[in-house]
Amino acid sequence: MQKKENHRWFLLQHEPLDVGAAFTFLQTPKAGGIDLFVGTTRQWTADKETVRLEYDCYEAMALKEMSRLAEEAQARWPVERVCLLHRLGVVPPAEASVVVGVATPHRADAFAACRFLIDTLKEQVPIWKREVYADGSTEWIEGSTPPAVEGR
Amino acid sequence: MYTLQVLLFSVLKQKVGEGRLTLSLQAPATGTDLLDHLEAQYPVLGDYRSVLRLAVNQEYVPETVALADGDEIALITPVSGG
Repeated sequence: MQKKENHRWFLLQHEPLDVGAAFTFLQTPKAGGIDLFVGTTRQWTADKETVRLEYDCYEAMALKEMSRLAEEAQARWPVERVCLLHRLGVVPPAEASVVVGVATPHRADAFAACRFLIDTLKEQVPIWKREVYADGSTEWIEGSTPPAVEGR
Repeated sequence: MYTLQVLLFSVLKQKVGEGRLTLSLQAPATGTDLLDHLEAQYPVLGDYRSVLRLAVNQEYVPETVALADGDEIALITPVSGG
């Protein structure tokens, strides 16, 4: 599922994410800085080995929330381009699960807006990860805080 | 009577054993009425009441929300994308 406009791109797909395509989308002569964050599956957490992550998603609502986040980023910083891409289903170790990118005139705003987007995606967008461990056990991961509802 | 679609994901879907429930509720009904009704059917939901949030027609809403016939409701536990 995706929503792609001139300056905003939101994508949910099972296939591997194309970080280069995100960069190309973000390029604009109006920007002096592009900040791209890529979240990847990490193999080890203390002494627990992750074989893969699996992502569940309320797709229609996830796209809406991504759009809302992007709007907020565009209101708070001079964001010329923004993309939020998330992979669904299985994501093996070292592969990308999420790509969050912005293009702004100056780098301070690029860092701030990108940070805001990934931090808030991880609290608001209805996507959940499940750890599949080497010992065969699995665990749905719960975020540390429920989504914000007030003022929405 | 309202006919409502209830969507479950992640740990709730695993514990209830279903991702989509269709149910009928006496009108008028709020989100709290719905959750009480669901918890009576699936007691495991009791463990998640304090942390889950409701979405009605793909928007987060307070539990006090008044439901309407045909609403799509999702029970959203703390998310873990990225």
